[in-house]
Amino acid sequence: MTVNDIVDELRATRPRPSDALRLQVMTVAARPAPRTPTLRERLRGRRRLALLVPAGAAVALTAAVVVGITRSGSTGQVQSAAPDAVRSAATGTTERSLAAPPPVADATTALKGATPTPIGGRAQRYSAALSLQVDDTDALSSATQQALAIARDLGGYVVSVHYATGDGGAAAVMLRVPSSNAADAVTRLSGLGTILGQNVQIDDLQATLDTLDRREQQLRARIAALTAAIDQADTDAERARLEEQRAQARAALRDVRTSHAATSAEARNATIQLDLRTKQESGVAVPGSRLDRALDKALAVLAWEGVVLLAVAIAAAPFALVAAAVWTTRRTRRRREEDRLLATS
Amino acid sequence: MTLEQPLAVRPPRTLAEAAEAHLDDVLGYLLYLTRDREAAEDLTSSTFEKAVRLWARFDADRGTARTWLLGIARTTALDWFRAESRRRKREAAAALPERVDEAFVEGLSPALEAGLSSLSAGEREVLVLRIVLELDGDATARVLGISPTAVSTRLSRALKRLEERVNEG
Repeated sequence: MTVNDIVDELRATRPRPSDALRLQVMTVAARPAPRTPTLRERLRGRRRLALLVPAGAAVALTAAVVVGITRSGSTGQVQSAAPDAVRSAATGTTERSLAAPPPVADATTALKGATPTPIGGRAQRYSAALSLQVDDTDALSSATQQALAIARDLGGYVVSVHYATGDGGAAAVMLRVPSSNAADAVTRLSGLGTILGQNVQIDDLQATLDTLDRREQQLRARIAALTAAIDQADTDAERARLEEQRAQARAALRDVRTSHAATSAEARNATIQLDLRTKQESGVAVPGSRLDRALDKALAVLAWEGVVLLAVAIAAAPFALVAAAVWTTRRTRRRREEDRLLATS
Repeated sequence: MTLEQPLAVRPPRTLAEAAEAHLDDVLGYLLYLTRDREAAEDLTSSTFEKAVRLWARFDADRGTARTWLLGIARTTALDWFRAESRRRKREAAAALPERVDEAFVEGLSPALEAGLSSLSAGEREVLVLRIVLELDGDATARVLGISPTAVSTRLSRALKRLEERVNEG
C-alpha cells in the first residue's frame, strides 16, 4: 500500500455525523448566545488602546509646539516704544529693555522708532545702556573709536573709556551728549554691532525744577521782607535777630540755586553707557528669530517628554520583562504538556 | 446573477450556518484524534456548546470559521485527553484493561485502521487536518499553534510511519 493509496482511502472514508448528532449540534448552535461584548465592542476597546500611542505622541508634539510658540516672545515690542516715551512725560519715569532686538541689518532703522526721546520743553534725565557684540578685536577698536566720534559729533564728550583685549576683547564707554541728541546718539551707537541688550531710562526732572523755582521765589520774598524789617527795627537786639534770619535765608537761597543749576545740568546732558564685546568674550548668546526660539523651546519640551517617557520605560522594564518571561514559560510548558499528551495517546 | 457570496467563501453570519458547514470537519477531526466515536460525538457537542458562548468573539478577518471551530475542538479534546490520562492512571492502579475502539472510522480497511491506531494522537491529528479535511499548511499551522514548516515535517513523518505500519501488517 503506497502513500497515495493511503491518502485516497482516508479521503474516501471521511467520517459523517449521525443524524442524532447533527440534530443535537444544530439545536445547540441555534441557541441564542449569552450576552457578551460584541466583536465591534471588543475591537473598539482594543482600538482605543492601539490609538493611545499615536494619540499620546500627538498630544506631546502639540504641547511642545504650543509651549514653543507661546514662550518664544515677540520682537514687536520695538514698535511700541514711542508711546512709552510719550507716557514718560506724564508718569515721570520710563525704563525700557529690549531683550530681543532685531538683527543688525535693520537695527538702526528699527531703533529710530524704538528709542524713547526726551519731550521738548520739559527737563528730563535721560540715561541709556547699550550692550553690543562685534566680530573681533579689530572691530572692537573701530567701534570704540566710532563711539567717541559720535559723542563729539553730537556735541557731547567722553566721561570714561575702559578697553581691554586678550583672546577676545571688551570695551566700556561712558558718554554724555546733549539730551536733545540722545535718541540720535543711541540710534547711531546701535549700528556699531549686534545688539545684545538695550536699556533706556528717562526720569522727569521738571517737577523738581518747578519746586526749586517756587522755593527760590519764596526765599527772595522772605529776604526782601527781612531787609525791610531790619530797616525799621527799633532796637539793636531785634535788628541783630532779623539779620541772622536774613543770613539763613540767603544761605538757603544759595543751596536752592545750586540744586537748580545741578538739576538743569543733569537735564541738559544724557548719559549713555556703551558696552562692547567681541564674540569670544561675549557670554550672551545672540538671540535668534522667533521661529528659532519657538523651535528651540519645542525641542526642549520634546526632550523633557522623552526623558519622562524613558524614565517610565526604565521603571516599568523589569516588570515587563518578568511578565514576558512568565508568559513565555507558561506557554512553553503548556505546549510541551500538550505535545506529550498527544504523543502518548 | 446574485450579489451574495457562496457559503464556502463568505463568512457565516450565524453559528448555525457555521455548524451546518463544518460539523463534518469537527467530528472527523475529533474522531481521528480520540479513536473513540462516542467520545468524539460528545466532544463535538461540547465544542459547539463552547462555540455558542464564544461566537461573539469570532473574527472572520483573523481566520475562517472552520479553523476557529477546529481550534475550539482541539482545546476541548486536550481537556478530554488530560481527563483520560488521569482515568488511565487510576485504572492502571486498579488493573483495569484500557478501552480500545478499533473501528473508529467506518469503511477503513483493517490494515489502515490498525496503522492509524498505532500512531500517536499528534500524528493522527496532522493527518486528519491535512489529508482528510484537506486544510492547507497555514490553516493547519493556525489550528495546531505551530509553524507551517513544522506542519510539513510532522505530516511527512506521520505518513511515512503510517505507510510502514500498514505494510508491516
